[in-house]
Amino acid sequence: MSGKPNAPTAADAAVGKATGGGSDAAPGKAGGGRRPVSQETGHGVTTVHEVLEVGSPDMHIAEGYLPWQHAAAWTAVAAPFVAHGVRSLTQAVRADPDAKLLVGAAGAFCFVLSALKIPSVSGSCSHPTGAGLGAVLFRPPVMAALGSITLLFQALLLAHGGLTSLGANVFSMAVVGPWVAYGAYKLVRSATASLDEQTSLGGAVFCAAALGSLATYTVTSVQLALAFPDPASGFFGSFAKFAGIFSVTQIPLAIIEGLITVVIVRLLSRVNPDQLRRLGVLRRNSAAPAAGQATDASEEKAG
Amino acid sequence: MLAIDAAAYASPWRRVHPAVKGVFFGGLLVCALALPTWPAAPLVAAVALTAALGPARVSPRAFARAAWGPLLFILTGSLTLLVTVGGPQGAIAFDPDGPARAAEIIGRAAAAVCCQLLFALTTPLADLLPRLTRIGLPAALVETVALIYRMLFVTLDSAHRIQTAQAGRLGYSHRRAWVRSVGALGAALFVRSYDRAQRMQRGLECRGYTGELTVLVDELSLRPAAVSAAALPSVLVAAATVSYMFLGAGL
Repeated sequence: MSGKPNAPTAADAAVGKATGGGSDAAPGKAGGGRRPVSQETGHGVTTVHEVLEVGSPDMHIAEGYLPWQHAAAWTAVAAPFVAHGVRSLTQAVRADPDAKLLVGAAGAFCFVLSALKIPSVSGSCSHPTGAGLGAVLFRPPVMAALGSITLLFQALLLAHGGLTSLGANVFSMAVVGPWVAYGAYKLVRSATASLDEQTSLGGAVFCAAALGSLATYTVTSVQLALAFPDPASGFFGSFAKFAGIFSVTQIPLAIIEGLITVVIVRLLSRVNPDQLRRLGVLRRNSAAPAAGQATDASEEKAG
Repeated sequence: MLAIDAAAYASPWRRVHPAVKGVFFGGLLVCALALPTWPAAPLVAAVALTAALGPARVSPRAFARAAWGPLLFILTGSLTLLVTVGGPQGAIAFDPDGPARAAEIIGRAAAAVCCQLLFALTTPLADLLPRLTRIGLPAALVETVALIYRMLFVTLDSAHRIQTAQAGRLGYSHRRAWVRSVGALGAALFVRSYDRAQRMQRGLECRGYTGELTVLVDELSLRPAAVSAAALPSVLVAAATVSYMFLGAGL
């Protein structure tokens, strides 16, 4: 891939940006006017609304929606998971400085994936698509750290979710979602160990993404129900109300997210099986499905 | 560029130290959350919007576009407060106290969203992130966050170009194709992100990379007087709210 004609310029631009200081990223400098210019194509601007469209309620709890006591409590609950994730992330970076850029790439990937426009019942909708896939690829502790960073960026760059409600959102989207997804993935993987690799992987990944997404939605409903209990029936009535109103969009979304994640992992296992093997997603001894990778696979077997 | 970030770079308040803006909007945010919603929330929203649309010249269009998403969530969530379930009146009944409760939450959340968004619309993340080490976050973490921020726009750009190409091939014409296209987009992004990270790594090594990504941060002066001045509006809002409460109790 490094043989592409545009490879050196892209790498130079990126490196120049990394060492050249934050202010160079300011819009308008390259274009002369006030219109921001795309860094790679040199023309036009990627506004967020081209990549995603806010068409239906997303599940990020908005700033100020939770009473401050609840916001503080959820922050306290999420903090140990995030601290653990950050520790494993910084240890990985310290042990291998080369991993730093890969972590950066993974974080940016998670953010963009969560900002993708995916089809839904009420038009299109943004949705944290990445959590299930991220948990399978990078493990839940790392995902707690990357997910928190993604949510911070979403709050400040996309106005999805708030700063005081960051703890509550981190707990539902970066802690419970990934852990449930990872648990479902491991469970289905071991249950279908006798099936062939592609079927087993597809089923496991679908369950991981769909269940992770549903878990996120359930936890958010619990958080809202605890904050606003129903005057007559208390927590359970309130939970039914919140879960009911969000289920219209969230249950179809969970299924679609599962399907999309299966497509992603199937494509990756065909295009980039070595990377997946390194991440522990594909089994070491599994034959690469694409004919082009046959030599690779035989080398693996020989070694 | 994302719309909020682009607005932040163009903001006249860009040269103001992030700590000053943080104290100003953060103080108002605390007022909105901790004080009684009426009258604190409208006061906070009024002060924040006056400052933002006046001296900070935030474009009302950019603000409205950014505020749309969270407000939609707040309104949908508050709908549930209007009804009560499982009470003596039946499975689903109108709650007479519901509108007051819903209005209180909408007021509080809308004021808080104003503070959050106006901070985001006047402060570029590139100015904010390197200073996060001052409040005690580990340097390795801040560096990783800044790196993700820098790589984000290139990745977003790739996503946009892949999406345009897919749309040009009718990749989003129906739901099945949509799912397939989004899946292909995600896979291509993963491969490209890793490939780009490895190429950047090679490029950095050729320039004597030792594991440190040093970045120039714009020097912005931070005067204690500016911080105190930034804290003043929230103190005034708090004082006005408290005196209103006392007067209300006295009458």
